[in-house]
Amino acid sequence: MNCAEFWNQMPELASGANPEHNHAAECPACAALLERQRRLASGLRTMAGDMRSVGAPPRLESNLLEAFRSQLAPAAPRPMRARWTPVFSWAAAVAAVIAMGVAVAPRRHSVVPVTHHSASSVVELASLTDDGADDDGFILLPNAERVGPNEDVHVVQMELTRSAMLVVGLDVSPDRVSEPVQAEVMLGPDGLARAVKFLDDDGTY
Amino acid sequence: MEPMRQEADEELLIRLRRGDEAAFLALYRKRQGALYRFALQMSGSAGTAEDITQEVFLTLLRGECGFNPERGTLSGYLFGIARKLALRQMERGRVDVALDSDAEELTLPELAVNDDPLADLTHREGIEALRRAVTALPRRYREVVVLCDLEELDYADAAAALGCPIGTVRSRLHRARALLLEKLNKERPKQAMGALKPARCEI
Repeated sequence: MNCAEFWNQMPELASGANPEHNHAAECPACAALLERQRRLASGLRTMAGDMRSVGAPPRLESNLLEAFRSQLAPAAPRPMRARWTPVFSWAAAVAAVIAMGVAVAPRRHSVVPVTHHSASSVVELASLTDDGADDDGFILLPNAERVGPNEDVHVVQMELTRSAMLVVGLDVSPDRVSEPVQAEVMLGPDGLARAVKFLDDDGTY
Repeated sequence: MEPMRQEADEELLIRLRRGDEAAFLALYRKRQGALYRFALQMSGSAGTAEDITQEVFLTLLRGECGFNPERGTLSGYLFGIARKLALRQMERGRVDVALDSDAEELTLPELAVNDDPLADLTHREGIEALRRAVTALPRRYREVVVLCDLEELDYADAAAALGCPIGTVRSRLHRARALLLEKLNKERPKQAMGALKPARCEI
């Protein structure tokens, strides 16, 4: 083995592998180089050991667990979607709607990804009028935070019962409250529903 | 390669996608530390490292996270995501590549002290100098040192994370270590310089 061949093995030699390297016994310069590399590797191992206890703060596990439960822990396993956000958003949105006391039929919901917006390029709920509706027809949900100008929002389409319209102050014919209606729900970066827009072909509720 | 480890990770991922919370927690607890430390070393910012770690695991919750077991291990894949996120942060200018200015944000534990004069890199001062040298490495060398030397990924996993051939990982690691020695040489007191002087091979 010559010096070049010896050097070719240096990363492995320095990392502690121990192939035949009699060359070091014959070449003091290479032996010295190897010794320096091994000391460096030893120092790096010490550094790694000192850092081994460093990890993400505990709150991150809690946050992710919450996201997991919202997204991937339904009663019945669902096939994975092409995009994760709408699934997560659906769960969050439904949770918000349920929290408002709206009867929702979960198995009838079909979630269709619509878009992922930057709030600066889409509806800014801060500009909602007093009656709660903006130019695009989104109605701010009761007690929901307005979307700030630099917040990212997600919009998902889902099927709700028309009783959900009552929550935002829309009139619904009593004999139609249990009928399904398509809706777009706007979710803030925290995954919570902020606003809703009902889609109705005939314009009646 | 660690075939058993890969199988375990992949099994956890399968269970995770079926909604198994225990599998998600197990995978998170198994991998978060290394991913966080990698992000911390790359960004120099604890906040950025936390964001990156979170985004890596959120990726796993997505329908198609893009992981293909035929291309490598889940560990390598996760480090690859973390790396891309870290690079994106750097491109946005939120994190400077030179990390010394962010050193105060690194919350490292107390380092062991070793009085062995022949192993000065295990001294507190030596390790501190080494840490500074690592963080001062150019990004492409720093990432390979962090992955291979600090987080002990094998070359295949590191190659998957870095998106380059194994040979490139190996050569960058070789070069990175040479740069580290060079940087340490510059920091060492003059009386100790002799031990790290370049030597000419006579054979």
